Amino acid sequence: MDDKIPKCNVNSDISNSIPIGPQHPALLEPEYFNIRLDGETIIDADINVGYLHRGIEAALEKKDYVQSVFLTERICGICSSHHTIAYCGAIELLHGAEIPMRAKYIRTIIAELERIHSHMLWLGVVGYEIGLDTLFQLVWRDREHVMDLLEKISGNRVNYAMNKIGGVRRDLDPKILSEISKTMDIIKKQVIHYIDIVSKDNIVILRTKDIGILSKEDAKKYSAVGPVARASGIKYDVRDTGYEAYKYIRFDVITETKGDVFSKVVVRAKELIVSSDIVKHCVKHIPKGDIYIKLPLIVPSGEVVTRVEAPRGELIYYVKSDGTNKPARVKIRTPTYANLLSVKTMLIGHDLADVPVIVVGALDPCFACTDRVTILKQTGNEILDASNLRSIADKKYN
Amino acid sequence: MIETMFNILFYPGILLVLVLSILYFGILRKLAAVMQNRVGPPIIQPVYDIIKLFGKEGVVPHQSGYGFSIWPVISLSSVLIVSLIVPIVFSGLISFNGDLIFVLYMLVLSSLAYYLSGFSSGNPFGIHGAIRGIVQMIAYEIVLAMSIVVVAVVNNSASIVYNSNWLINSYPLAGFGFLLAFFAKIEMPPFHIPGSHQEIVAGSTAEYTGSRLAILELAHMIKTFVLIALMVSLYLGGASSLLIFVLKSIFVLFVILISRVIFARLKINQAVNIYWMSGIIVFIDLFRVIFF
Repeated sequence: MDDKIPKCNVNSDISNSIPIGPQHPALLEPEYFNIRLDGETIIDADINVGYLHRGIEAALEKKDYVQSVFLTERICGICSSHHTIAYCGAIELLHGAEIPMRAKYIRTIIAELERIHSHMLWLGVVGYEIGLDTLFQLVWRDREHVMDLLEKISGNRVNYAMNKIGGVRRDLDPKILSEISKTMDIIKKQVIHYIDIVSKDNIVILRTKDIGILSKEDAKKYSAVGPVARASGIKYDVRDTGYEAYKYIRFDVITETKGDVFSKVVVRAKELIVSSDIVKHCVKHIPKGDIYIKLPLIVPSGEVVTRVEAPRGELIYYVKSDGTNKPARVKIRTPTYANLLSVKTMLIGHDLADVPVIVVGALDPCFACTDRVTILKQTGNEILDASNLRSIADKKYN
Repeated sequence: MIETMFNILFYPGILLVLVLSILYFGILRKLAAVMQNRVGPPIIQPVYDIIKLFGKEGVVPHQSGYGFSIWPVISLSSVLIVSLIVPIVFSGLISFNGDLIFVLYMLVLSSLAYYLSGFSSGNPFGIHGAIRGIVQMIAYEIVLAMSIVVVAVVNNSASIVYNSNWLINSYPLAGFGFLLAFFAKIEMPPFHIPGSHQEIVAGSTAEYTGSRLAILELAHMIKTFVLIALMVSLYLGGASSLLIFVLKSIFVLFVILISRVIFARLKINQAVNIYWMSGIIVFIDLFRVIFF
């Protein structure tokens, strides 16, 4: 094992350091924060990820393009359809094809419904982290409306398998479309009620205002994306580039200026309302037509980059094809990977009790998406490949 | 002699205390669930929990101290002794001169033993939870003591006396202070800070399993019941029959329930600020009752 690889460098004795993770009731997914305390104040923090690494990029190179869409979907449970939108979009770009308009609208509807259920999950989890169990139970009760809707559309509550290369796999009949509209009205009414509660409750304000402040300069310096950046005043939303049906829809991009947990809560909660409006607009204006076009299995060679706005921020896919029916290289940069760099700034100076609020509430991490491995040797920028990684693992664990 | 044994073991002794404390705890959980629009556990769920825990293996961690097995027992036994003194109907089973002070001291011992078991577990989470608990105790025990002293001055005695006046009407500030210290002592929202499992995994009870955890949970339940009974007999005018006792304690339970369902968790420094504020509020009543 190369000794120069940087270790998690927070050393302390038993009474002034707390390990948060990998298994911890506050966290939804395994990650490791080593936090050094002075009484209750955090003076240092370090992060270790990699507990969910599944070798996805290597697996994608072994499957052909049609199979790899299903693998891409299962990278994450709550941003699943955004991964497939980015991937199928990349391959359609390589073909130089344009999918039918109805397919674009259906993809947008599914993407926004996913954003709604992801943000509602997050809102409940914020309630849980600050100890307000009632908010958690009530928001997840209302989230069931969206989950039932997705089950009626696609047959699954997560991992909908709606997208394929060239379009979508299932159509939406008028009965489902009117049901989507009605559900969006219910969701919007309930979310406005929850925003009212959260922004006026005294203890919630005490727990979230001026906690985990990320200033605009820090957000730019640590390349934060998504609602984390928008809450610090950076107006950056990839949906503005107009992929899928977004170029035909006018919607607001919500920003706040303060950058603390409270502004992030407000940004994500208002995005819920914007998403429900987008879905209703799509349902009203969905055009008739085909839902997919048939594309050949062999993809012309080339390399292409696509970006989509996943619920947590900007998701980047790089696909390189060499003219066969299997991708040559797929590289995925998930939004949590970019946002992780700003966690240390957000944590230092606050209390231990703020750690779950900041890590899960402000950051909204999705570590299942995030774990990719690239090790740089200290001397020079060499990147290790699979055989080197295997030998390092053998030496460490045997 | 046989009658005394029956009184101590069954009615109004330990069996009644156990039954009532399990019932109150179960009602608390069930009604909290119903208020959150879900089904919740059955009312006798605490019985199932305790019986199950006694059947599990009790693991003693390598890094724990000598008090690991002793502090839970001290916590339970002190609160059981108090439950025989605190009145349920009219007056308690055992009463002597100065038993109000004795009750206060034993309640402090029970909470202290709970947090000391966190210290002796040798786990950073347990230690951190215990630190928070002790920091809280410094602040709220004073509030509790002051509100008890108000009652002692009104009744003109250092023992628990049956006073059928509702002292919460005449001294509402002291009653509010008692209620606040009560919430802090049994770790009800918004003061459920030492056992916060979102931040430190379970706090003081982190390393406990099996029979020791069952003893700690039982001590917590009986402490809840004892404090409710104390509130009823000190501030809500005592009870002249079991039915009236249950009705008045359900009234207190509702106040706990509403607080449990609507409040989020405070941070330890914010909570201690609130305790000091309420100390000043109770002190106003204390001043009033001594000099006017």
